[in-house]
Amino acid sequence: MSSSLIPPESLARVGEILAGPITVRIDSREAQRYAYAVGDLNPIYFDEDSAKAAGYRTLTIPPLFITHALVPPKPTEALRTDGLYKDSATVTLEVERMMFGGEEWDFLEPVCIDDEITGTTRLLDLDQKEGKKGSFVRLVRETTFTNQNEQVVARSRQIGIAR
Amino acid sequence: MTNYPTMETVELGDELPVMHKRVEEAELFLYSAASFNPHRIHYDRAYAQYEGHQDIVVHGPLQGSWLTQFVTDWAGPRSRLLSVEWQNRASAFVGDELYFSGSVISINQTNGSVELEINERKEDGSLLMPAKATIKLEETK
Repeated sequence: MSSSLIPPESLARVGEILAGPITVRIDSREAQRYAYAVGDLNPIYFDEDSAKAAGYRTLTIPPLFITHALVPPKPTEALRTDGLYKDSATVTLEVERMMFGGEEWDFLEPVCIDDEITGTTRLLDLDQKEGKKGSFVRLVRETTFTNQNEQVVARSRQIGIAR
Repeated sequence: MTNYPTMETVELGDELPVMHKRVEEAELFLYSAASFNPHRIHYDRAYAQYEGHQDIVVHGPLQGSWLTQFVTDWAGPRSRLLSVEWQNRASAFVGDELYFSGSVISINQTNGSVELEINERKEDGSLLMPAKATIKLEETK
């Protein structure tokens, strides 16, 4: 049995809020920049008549943009050598590298331009597993997104693999 | 006028049209900017290689957004995406030829949705991102 990669103080954080709540008004220019950067030119992101014809109140957004809309502005002094921000949301683990394992999303209500979206991220799960290449930690962060009417519009689970 | 799938026309095993993506440095830079992501492996080749990557790395969430585009391009603007999930099995790099393919694996007549199984692969067929999605199809008038 290999030693634990998860310090007890990190394990104790399961369930804790890692980031937020942060509230942001969804901006059409930012959403459209995102859609262009993806190459997703769906008219419901650019043309109000098309969005309304498709049943939306007004322009809607690429589904995953919501997570980027909520990134808080930070000073460059907070950047690390690798370009990432020094982040209070980092969970301490006895590992060398965190990799992006995948995501799971549920979309519950439409999100449109000018909606006020609040995101709260929790540490949902921390679990040490044994793989072919040795022990690794599966870390799951869950973000819940609600709108100005307190409807949950989306949930995302981001899965990190640390070894 | 494009004919998008409806609950009347969709069949188990239907295949989505393959979507091709290839991005160069400028597109990856734009995605970093649009997603407020300063991670160096997405624009600095020397740094990416120092971290052990063969080249500039394509962002995982960019491939996630390609996945949602792949599904909504097929199902049309009146569809409603209900869920997606994906696993990042291997990295994609700048200039790679990437292909999304998928098919209908179940049909839920109760809520008018279908479940799709999707794969993103490189030109050599290697699997980058297995994925699933459920989407409520356009209702016929």
